[in-house]
Amino acid sequence: MTHKPLSSQAIGRKEIVYTVSNMVIGLGILTLPNTIAKNTQFSDGWMSIILGGMIALAFAWAIGVLASRFPGQNYHAMASMILSRKAAHVLTLLISFYLLLFVSYQVRGVSTITRLYLFDNTPEEIIGLIYLLVLIYAVAGPSIALLRLNLIFFPIVVTIMLLIVLLNLGSLNVHYLLPVFKTDWRNIAASSKDTVFSYLGLEIMLFYNIYVVKKGKLPGSILRGLMIPICIYFVVFMFVIGVFGPMVVSNTLYPLAELAKEVEVPGGVFERFEFFFFVIWLMTLFSTNAMAFDVALLALESVFP
Amino acid sequence: MKTKQPGQTPEFLSTNLKENLETLSLLLNDPSDLTTKVFQVGGSAYTSAIVSLEGLSDQLLIKEQIIQPIQHNPEQFAASMEDVRKVLHEIENRMISLQITNRTRRWDEVIPVILSGDTILMLEGTDEVLLIKSRKWPGRSIEEPQTEALVRGPRVGFTESIYTNISLLRRHIREPNLTIDPHTIGRRSNQSLAVVYIKGLTNPELIEEVNRRLKSLDLDYAPESGTVEQWIEDSFLSPFPQILNTERPDKVTSALLQGKVAILLDGTPFVLLLPFTFVSLLHSPEDYYERWTIGSLIRLLRLVAIGITLFLPALYIAILSFHPGMIPFKLVFSIAAAREGVPFPAVIEALLMEVTLELLREAGIRLPKPIGQTIGIVGGLVIGEAAVQAGIVSPIMVIIVALTAISSFAIPSYSAGISFRMLRFSIMIAASFLGLYGIVMTFIMICIHLMRLHSFGVPYLSPVAPSIQHDWKDMFIRVPVTWLTRRPLFMKPQDTHRAKKR
Repeated sequence: MTHKPLSSQAIGRKEIVYTVSNMVIGLGILTLPNTIAKNTQFSDGWMSIILGGMIALAFAWAIGVLASRFPGQNYHAMASMILSRKAAHVLTLLISFYLLLFVSYQVRGVSTITRLYLFDNTPEEIIGLIYLLVLIYAVAGPSIALLRLNLIFFPIVVTIMLLIVLLNLGSLNVHYLLPVFKTDWRNIAASSKDTVFSYLGLEIMLFYNIYVVKKGKLPGSILRGLMIPICIYFVVFMFVIGVFGPMVVSNTLYPLAELAKEVEVPGGVFERFEFFFFVIWLMTLFSTNAMAFDVALLALESVFP
Repeated sequence: MKTKQPGQTPEFLSTNLKENLETLSLLLNDPSDLTTKVFQVGGSAYTSAIVSLEGLSDQLLIKEQIIQPIQHNPEQFAASMEDVRKVLHEIENRMISLQITNRTRRWDEVIPVILSGDTILMLEGTDEVLLIKSRKWPGRSIEEPQTEALVRGPRVGFTESIYTNISLLRRHIREPNLTIDPHTIGRRSNQSLAVVYIKGLTNPELIEEVNRRLKSLDLDYAPESGTVEQWIEDSFLSPFPQILNTERPDKVTSALLQGKVAILLDGTPFVLLLPFTFVSLLHSPEDYYERWTIGSLIRLLRLVAIGITLFLPALYIAILSFHPGMIPFKLVFSIAAAREGVPFPAVIEALLMEVTLELLREAGIRLPKPIGQTIGIVGGLVIGEAAVQAGIVSPIMVIIVALTAISSFAIPSYSAGISFRMLRFSIMIAASFLGLYGIVMTFIMICIHLMRLHSFGVPYLSPVAPSIQHDWKDMFIRVPVTWLTRRPLFMKPQDTHRAKKR
């Protein structure tokens, strides 16, 4: 009688979807509505979100197809097969460099926002240091643990998003959303440039491809993983505009945090919901950062084995 | 078998009975509980000797079933007088009705047999001895387990005897595939240990791994299965238990039928069950005995209990020290009013009360039962009340400490409860430095640790991560039994179906 091995290093569809979604939703969503609202009128920014999402979906599909043609191989191996070994070195190093910059940018962002919303006196440096130490602990172990971390964190984050949206249903003002189609198409296109960048993060699948066993499912899973952030961005943007109005949003740095502030928990258990939101939000930021850091290390490792 | 004796140790017995008895006495270091009875075989001129250890063997049985039939043998040994071997053979076949385990002439086979309470029969003129099973170890009868009481469920618990325990399992699983792999552990104790599983169901990789780790065991003596557990667990640094222990045969039986492996050790009623996963922390046999709605709700309740045990005191500290704006301002006022006059910051207050509580709990275990309950009342009510009146802690703190204590008792596994209590203190300290941020960072670290942890090759957080959708039916909620047609898949059992497909 045959038997299956007890533990496997493989990731399935669910892991890929959650990983991509969690990676894409990061710091960007906090500022995104503000950036879009600056260039668009009323609720027209949704078109930028969808347009940017389309472009990102095209890239996602390309990444998925590319990765599924090289099953079980990482970016470095793919690049050395397609180009040359030296070119692969350069490209992988660039990606690693980019991801390290991404991580440092996010660590800084986390410390700023945490300081802003959670602390009065604690210096940013301490917050950042603690964050970095925990990050180092995270990347010191096997990557598969970080991929599986998404399975716990992502549902929590989605739940909290839904809560924010649902609990704000009462303060939604439809008049803020109207009229539609007032923005010039050039502005839409210009602001979708910003939204495209908020969909960054898919590229980690080029490296985590080594854990993908069912390669046929990869493109579809990445696309699904990207659809979730597009929906979340869309809903969040509409709600932010619908609750605060376009004027306020274009002048607020973190509209989503303000949206969380607006929440009134029934029963009055929490006076200020945004504390809760931030704490949960830290989880998704953390797993985004941990994966980016981990991939940066994986990239370095593949160049300097 | 290493008998570490000074001087020269003969390897084989001699044909001289007296010499043999002397050697035996020497080998065993002249023990006072060694009973030797020398007597003549009835109907012959041969002398024989019966040797056993008094406390470990059934003396009455020896007297009635061995000595009397031989001594009072009415028939004459006719032709076989000359041949000693034949006399021994006659004795073995016709006179002794007890089970004869072996015939040997080696001392190193004789010694362990005597030490485990069996009897040997020697005969003058031959170097062969009979090893007769007569062990009767002092033990208690089957009782209801103290640590895992259930409202509904069998009132049976394991005992200290491994044979009783195996028989309890056999009684429930009457099928030939129930396999018992014997091991002997302990350099000096030579205890028996058994690995129990169901062949054709349990993943062979798991069994192999368990047997491999047990072979690596090298110690003098395992007083409890906890010693074995610590030898073979995956990570000794982890605060989480990676092997479950239980006193309940029904728990072991259902675990075996799920594809788990049980390790039974002689001398302890605690049986080890592995692999162990995080979700089994929430599970108690009662969930399956009660109807599914009750079972499911109770599991969710336990999940809440884990959350309270881990985070409630830390949240109190964090909110009071860093984020008083988080809770409704009326509540802030009432807490502030209650803390009026308390000279310590929230973290000191919380640590004081939590440490007191742990002390009470520890003291309650040590004290005799009737007094233990008194201590609970005295400690819980009197100290809490007095501390509040003296203005050392606030009444809210007492409520929180009481809640965490109750919650930590709601976790079915005692050792898992302890690990949560340990983690609680680290989260409290993190909260005192960094508030909610500290709590969430600690939570993330615990999550990462759990992600990395394995129990005998099975990821600790399965079936959550890696996600195995099928097993969610029996995770936080338990679906009706008629839906549970397949065994949990995360242990990769060979035989997945336990009931007919609907």
